[in-house]
Amino acid sequence: MSQDRIDEGRVFPTRLSMDGATPGTDFEEKVFGPIGRDDIVRYAQASGDDNPIHQDEEYARAQGAPTIFAMGMLPAGYLATAVSDWVGGPQHLRRYKVRFTTRVWPGDEIVCRARIESVDGNVAHLVLEASRRGKGPEGLGLEEEEVALEGEADVELVQD
Amino acid sequence: MVERELTFDLPVAEDKVKEFAVAVGADSLAVHHDSQAARELGLPNLIAPPTFTVTQIFPVPRERRAKELGAELDYGRVLHGEQEFIYTRMPVAGETLKGRMRIAKDVTKEGKRGGQMRFVTYQTVFTDDAGAEVLTANYTLLETSRDPGS
Repeated sequence: MSQDRIDEGRVFPTRLSMDGATPGTDFEEKVFGPIGRDDIVRYAQASGDDNPIHQDEEYARAQGAPTIFAMGMLPAGYLATAVSDWVGGPQHLRRYKVRFTTRVWPGDEIVCRARIESVDGNVAHLVLEASRRGKGPEGLGLEEEEVALEGEADVELVQD
Repeated sequence: MVERELTFDLPVAEDKVKEFAVAVGADSLAVHHDSQAARELGLPNLIAPPTFTVTQIFPVPRERRAKELGAELDYGRVLHGEQEFIYTRMPVAGETLKGRMRIAKDVTKEGKRGGQMRFVTYQTVFTDDAGAEVLTANYTLLETSRDPGS
């Protein structure tokens, strides 16, 4: 896939074309994080999600969690950003769907992956996945890497 | 049964678009930060990131959803299960969207490990000033069983 244009620090990703959208093609993985508590606070402020379970250590423990954890829409937002980069900008998205499969903890990296599953006319159907990668909270015995989000996206392609 | 619906406004303020874009790691994507670049790409102004409209969930408090739409949920047992967006276009900075929210689904299924799982989907259709649809958001909550596995 061709090189994105970068102009004064702004990225203009290359649009996915009919020619470039071959079913079975994997996109280059994108990694966000590691997620810091400041990233969670920034997302809380930007989104209005002020549920204390994501910010207040004592509250989270009182709810039975070992520590605070990220709101699912934070990695879902990263994954949407990855899709936007892969396909030439969010303006080409026609559908975006995610299912949350496990919690994401402070210190986790979010590894975003996607594959073109099929192409129907000028719309490509992408299968998406975002994994959490990290130790996780002490004592939970989490896998070093596990899928936190499964998703799909429909993207409009440009004619060649 | 008369379908219950609640309506609300969602302003797509330029500074909120930029702030949200930074929060989801899109701090270098031109279409969220540089209005001239956005116009050069044929867009009317900056556009919001794909998940921006989740910000509407919080201005519409749970209590209002429960009161006006029904579906009482025990939030101690509720998880965000799924989120879907279907786009006609992305929201544009400077416009105010009108949201119409309703319950699209409320089903209970047997869980894999016994106990029941209830899925409630709040569906919001966002329209613009001209009344044209911009996007539809499906916010699905999952209420776990009171006594899982028993």
